[in-house]
Amino acid sequence: MTTNVITGKVFVLGDEVNTDLNCSSKYLPGKDSAYVSTVAFEKLQPGFAKNMSDHQGGIIVAGTNFGINSSREQAVHVLHLMKVKCIVAPSFGRQFFRNAINNGLPIIECDTSQIHANDELMIDLHHGTVSSSAGIKLAVKPLPQEILKIIEVGGLLNFITKHPDWNFAA
Amino acid sequence: MGQTISEKILAKHAQKSEVQAGEVVVCDVDFAMVTDTRAANTIKMMSKLDRESLKFTQNTALVLDHYSPPPNLEAAEIHQKMRQFSGEAKTHLYDIGDGICHQVLPEGGHLTSGDLVVGTDTHSVTYGAFNAFGTGIEGSDVAAVMATGKLWFRVPESIQVHLSGQLQPGVWAKDITLHMLGKYKAEGLNYKAIEYVGSAVSKMDIDDRMTLCNHAAELGAKAALLEADQKTFTWLAAHGAKPPNAVYADHDAIYSFKDQIDVSLLVPQVARKHEVDDVVGTDQIDRQSIQFALIGTCTNGRLDDIRQAAHILQGRKIAKGVRMIVTPASRQIYLAALREGLIEILTSAGASFEAAGCGTCVGITNHLVPGNRETVISSANRNFKGRLSNDEADIWLGSAATVAASALTGFITDPRTVDGGLWRNV
Repeated sequence: MTTNVITGKVFVLGDEVNTDLNCSSKYLPGKDSAYVSTVAFEKLQPGFAKNMSDHQGGIIVAGTNFGINSSREQAVHVLHLMKVKCIVAPSFGRQFFRNAINNGLPIIECDTSQIHANDELMIDLHHGTVSSSAGIKLAVKPLPQEILKIIEVGGLLNFITKHPDWNFAA
Repeated sequence: MGQTISEKILAKHAQKSEVQAGEVVVCDVDFAMVTDTRAANTIKMMSKLDRESLKFTQNTALVLDHYSPPPNLEAAEIHQKMRQFSGEAKTHLYDIGDGICHQVLPEGGHLTSGDLVVGTDTHSVTYGAFNAFGTGIEGSDVAAVMATGKLWFRVPESIQVHLSGQLQPGVWAKDITLHMLGKYKAEGLNYKAIEYVGSAVSKMDIDDRMTLCNHAAELGAKAALLEADQKTFTWLAAHGAKPPNAVYADHDAIYSFKDQIDVSLLVPQVARKHEVDDVVGTDQIDRQSIQFALIGTCTNGRLDDIRQAAHILQGRKIAKGVRMIVTPASRQIYLAALREGLIEILTSAGASFEAAGCGTCVGITNHLVPGNRETVISSANRNFKGRLSNDEADIWLGSAATVAASALTGFITDPRTVDGGLWRNV
């Protein structure tokens, strides 16, 4: 279950982060998600997973096309294990965007240039606002209601179990 | 308001008169496909649902193509689980050697014009060649389709690319897609639905049309669609598909932008090592040696591709030190190549054939590992560092004709120079 307001410390990653390469076992065959969650993004930023774990998770703020080329749902399972509460980026890889929603991981598309590592962020999913401890307040286009609903109940399979008729209004 | 092909297909499947880009809709899905690389996750996701609730499995297929044949016990066990699940849930099943998902679905008559088809692979955009909306999804999505017959979609913005003129001999759809990648860059058309129209598309045969749509995955596209014509209908009927419901865009359809490319001007293109969008004409490449030449994959492993290679290599031998492997995209293609004598031509030239499947496309199975400092020219769709399990090897991409011409000379070679005899001077 996800609350509508998310708060957490910012962990920054760059542009064009390929989660297949950095956050799944696609190229680490035989390794499980628990293992991958301890080494995720290591090639991009040594110590990233450990740093995140030391802080009991937080919010990933990335550059353009986060999750490009990536179609593995496992990448989102790994991010959950790392206690990632939300990902904020100007754009996402198409399949990653879908996988995040289907697995109840909130994602926000917005300009991230004014958000910095170690800021504390507060994100209101329904109202579409992102505010930082550095005093920045960004208005973002809220996700469509249907998507918020799927995220709220923790993902697609929870949603269709509750609503086999796909009734978003219920 | 005018609607694009994508919008019309999604609207119809959502029982709406029209839809708008950005809107989330719930659509009836005509067919869903799961490959072996995602089967473990999909079956895990499925286990969260009551097996009795999986009411829509008759319109799904499980395809054993990436781990074909299984390279290790883990893959073999995934295949065992898939066969068992398929038997219990009564899905279609394509076993090892039957072929690549994107080839066996159309060949098996599982889709027709106007359909909405999803698959656990980004190259599911290939089905657009038949005027179907095909797109990639993951395990949760398939589980939802098997349980409810439906899935959510965010309606993509559409763009229209007009391909005018006529491809020169030796230039193929692959060269258009590589040109598009050079122009728009990888993921440059993220989330968008591409609609290719124009005389060059009409002139293409189905194999080339599938390449055109398939490679849109590297552009980040959600779908890539063509208009249906008599060639489409003939092909679909020959493969036992349902009667087509061809969908055409309205004349006042709204595209986020339109582009026009005169394909007559294109020379054979290659993507240089590591970057699928670092694209140049083969005429710009000066003596780049290669050690591996690979023809196959869902992008270019079809009969026309094998014909191109045989045309170039007939009565000739590949260069010393070059290893060439051909992987037909399906068993049907393998058989057709056999009947046409193409396998004898290519095997005599020094190439090796392997069973139909994803073959040499990706290193997840260690199916083929090039040596350090070796260069591969491949008809595949991705060439990033490590794609073939070795960060110290380089992969270049080109058409099947460019791969065959390069195998012949040992250098990246413009296939148009071969029949002119210029290759002898290299």
